[in-house]
Amino acid sequence: MEQVTNVKNDAIAKIHTAKTTEELRAIDLEFLGKNGSLSGLMKGIGALPNDQKPLFGAAVNSAKSEVESLLNQKTASLKTGELAKQFEAERIDITLPGRAPQYGREHVLQQTTNKIKRVLGSMGFVYQESPELERFKYNFEGLNYPPDHPAMDEQDTFYVTDDLVLRTQCTALQPRVFETTEPPFRRFTVGRTFRNEAVDRTHNHTFHQVDCFMVDKGISMAHLKGTLGVFARAMFGPEVKVRFRPDFFPFVEPGVDYAISTPKLFNGKWVELGGAGLIHPNILERYDIDTKVYSGFAFGLGVERIPMMAYGIDDLRHFFDNDFRFLSQFA
Amino acid sequence: MKLTYSMIRDYVETNLDAEAIANQLTMTGFELEEITDAEGEPMLDINIMANRGDGASVLGLSRELLAKEPTAKPTELYSRATNRFPAPDAGSRDIWAKASVEIQTPTCSRFACRIFENLQNGPSPEWLQQRLRQIGQRPISLLVDLTNYVMFEVGQPLHAYDLDLLQGERIIVRQAQAGEKLKTLDGNIHELQPHHMVIADSEKAVGLAGVMGGEETEVSSTTTRCLLEAAHFTNTSVRKTRTELGFFTEASYRFERSVDPEGVVAALNRFTELYTEITGEKPVGGVIDVYPTKPEPIQLTLFVRRASELLGMTITVEQAELYLSKLGFKILGISPDSLEVEAPTWRIDVVREEDLVEELGRVHGYELIPEQLPIGSTPIGGPQGFDLLTDQLREATLRCGFNQVVSHSLRDLHLLDAPVLGGAGEISGLSSAELNAGTPVVQQPGRIRVRQPHSPDMAYLRNSILPSLADAQRRNNLEDIHIFEVGRVHTESGEFTQIALLSAGKFDQPGWRPTDPTTADFFTLKGSLESIAAATYLPISYKRSTTDPRFHPTRQAKVILGQTEVGVMGQIHPVIAEETNLPATTVMAELTLDGLKNEQFGTPTYHGISRNPASRRDIAILIKKDIPFNELDQAILQAGGSDLENHWLFDVYEGQGVPEGSQSLAIALQFRRMNANLNDEESNALRDKIVAALTKLGATLR
Repeated sequence: MEQVTNVKNDAIAKIHTAKTTEELRAIDLEFLGKNGSLSGLMKGIGALPNDQKPLFGAAVNSAKSEVESLLNQKTASLKTGELAKQFEAERIDITLPGRAPQYGREHVLQQTTNKIKRVLGSMGFVYQESPELERFKYNFEGLNYPPDHPAMDEQDTFYVTDDLVLRTQCTALQPRVFETTEPPFRRFTVGRTFRNEAVDRTHNHTFHQVDCFMVDKGISMAHLKGTLGVFARAMFGPEVKVRFRPDFFPFVEPGVDYAISTPKLFNGKWVELGGAGLIHPNILERYDIDTKVYSGFAFGLGVERIPMMAYGIDDLRHFFDNDFRFLSQFA
Repeated sequence: MKLTYSMIRDYVETNLDAEAIANQLTMTGFELEEITDAEGEPMLDINIMANRGDGASVLGLSRELLAKEPTAKPTELYSRATNRFPAPDAGSRDIWAKASVEIQTPTCSRFACRIFENLQNGPSPEWLQQRLRQIGQRPISLLVDLTNYVMFEVGQPLHAYDLDLLQGERIIVRQAQAGEKLKTLDGNIHELQPHHMVIADSEKAVGLAGVMGGEETEVSSTTTRCLLEAAHFTNTSVRKTRTELGFFTEASYRFERSVDPEGVVAALNRFTELYTEITGEKPVGGVIDVYPTKPEPIQLTLFVRRASELLGMTITVEQAELYLSKLGFKILGISPDSLEVEAPTWRIDVVREEDLVEELGRVHGYELIPEQLPIGSTPIGGPQGFDLLTDQLREATLRCGFNQVVSHSLRDLHLLDAPVLGGAGEISGLSSAELNAGTPVVQQPGRIRVRQPHSPDMAYLRNSILPSLADAQRRNNLEDIHIFEVGRVHTESGEFTQIALLSAGKFDQPGWRPTDPTTADFFTLKGSLESIAAATYLPISYKRSTTDPRFHPTRQAKVILGQTEVGVMGQIHPVIAEETNLPATTVMAELTLDGLKNEQFGTPTYHGISRNPASRRDIAILIKKDIPFNELDQAILQAGGSDLENHWLFDVYEGQGVPEGSQSLAIALQFRRMNANLNDEESNALRDKIVAALTKLGATLR
């Protein structure tokens, strides 16, 4: 019994003097391991008289648990200090620059186009592309332009032949759809348009347009306003209001200019966004769509205009210049 | 169109201030450009739509305001204007002895004139001079000032000739003779052509019809007899003449947009009223009015319920009648649901029922239209089919670290343009000599050129996106650049959607930590294309190629997606790199996607995964360099069978210890069996089988 107490006290003394968790692990092994000096005492139990065996066993177990508990306590207290030291040694300057993974950056016009596609797509408008180099009949004739309309002049439109022009508007998709598709339908496109214009901060000979339209039974100016409202709020924020003002385009009747107003932009002033209206009955009739049964609306706007307004970009030319100092501002 | 607040108040009785008036006009479609202060009074500048020439006058805008604003009332002057300013001497024939008028061309539908004698053409009274100054017109003399003022008031351009200078005291409206010369009021001499319409006397042209008068017959301070013209010309003829000869005049501005043919004599009468008021003098009695072609009246039926349906707001028959009559429409008949109307002669834009629907809408107020969403058949929206495929390819390219650019389709020729198939079927690129000689005047074969380019360097539609990418590299002047663009290209055989990539230099940005030293080369680009193809589940393969002159001849490959050859990739040709100032290590790919419209895409193929452990065996082989790796690859795949889960090349070595013409390849093999463990002997046997297959191709195990 005395032997048990001695070994125990020896262990306790060593635990008290230990300075590191590593020393403690060695003490653990020395006394409590399989062949440790405390655990090992049990081997001598066979030599004891039978009546002392239970007492001796209980004494060893009690000593073991006492040592184990002390060991755990001491380990825990040393660990705290050691971790604190480790943390100090591993201190980094968190203000050093981060290292970004190299993913590609989407062009700001693409980001805008994606948003447009998501919004109009979710309202059931099917996206469809149409040619940049367009037939005269789809760009002008099929859109109810009178034969001598100034927009058709060579000074305003890029001609390749008498019958081929660089489309001046994405509206050229409309006659293509009317020609081949029975109503009802909802369509939109986003693409390049071309005008023979002098280039400055607010003009470019090439820019992008959205054109969106639908034909169904009973389509009205209220449906146009509702759709534009949802679209404009998705692009510019939930407070946006939409206003119609009469305007003239050959392919709509009634034709309007639509403006938006939001407290977030231009102090809530009305800002014009694009043209819209009910698809001109002359056009529907030209493509054998019964105007007694069907009507439709259409609206268009410049894609560049959206980020220009939303972000205050003041020069249209940036969009085609591919200067990374500009493009990297829109991640 | 400029007008002052008091000019409106002459025609409209209203308490609205200038800004409120401008707002109402804007909401009728006549948009305010700006309000400025003109000699202490608000001056409105109003934008006139191309089909609404009637708005280019105080009278026309007043009509709109009176229709739109319920509190506004017409003045006595407005009522006389709508009655066409009846003149007391209308029945007189005195004028007939003084001059004659003849119209010889169908592009003039009416010509009327009055004559004034015993004139003293001094300065105008101050009120008239001030009003003209306020709207940006320079006062000149009484006759000239009155023609200008009346034009602004009622929209009809007028012109005053010195009658003593008109040869034969005759007016002939005709087409010009070829080469006929005319000196216009601005002092410029024009050589005219037969499609130009002129006003002439018995000898020569004295004015450009609808555009500007001639200098020789203009009124001056010595003029004592004046012939005052009011005429109506076809809008397209005037527009063509003035744009061709480079004019912008207040008269042509109005004729282009159309002028009321029935207002011609009214304008002469209004001039006379003011002239008499100012001078106390009367004109020679009567009006000469040659009016060969009167406009056909346009009569229309308007179904008011249908109009309400189209507008999405309810308008009653009574409201419709009120709005239309205020706008000058004659109401011919009314039923419980419809109106019969005749359009006023100044509204050439109104030709069918829907045009009337617009009239109701804009007067009733578009702000009253509620927002509603269309109901009915709603298909699945957004991009479909091929457009989805290009979206996927574009997004995958972004994930590969390429920045997107967007460039002009119109540009000049470039060494990186796609080679055009020559007549004999051989491929030829542009030589730098051709390019340096300036833009070729001759049409480049196979290329699309616009007829009247904005400038020579924007004459061609690009037939490849690579030149655009080269431009973007130059603009940013970056050694390390990885960019792409998706867009259209144009050739004689059509318009195609293309994706092109350009990659040069390091991938990692310079930083404070050691970075990945990888730089762009053939294989980094090849790997990117493989990732991009994987995003669409289309298999990608390559064919050695030597034919594209833009690429390094032994470092280029044709790219096949699915079954479709889509383009070419590789390292830039060193000579082209030098001439275009691109880094010689630049790699590029040009893929035309239209052929993929026929490919099945977008479907992953599932196979089960084994829960048993994998084993790995590495081998190193010596092989002749002229054996392409994909032959070894195929042999490994075939020999490994279904137990070969994965394998990859992890070292290529030539040099010491490797015979000349050979290389050493180290390949990792990873085996795994479905639902069974592979023991060492089985793994070794699999490896040996693969080695045996490679040996057949000439490989020896190192």
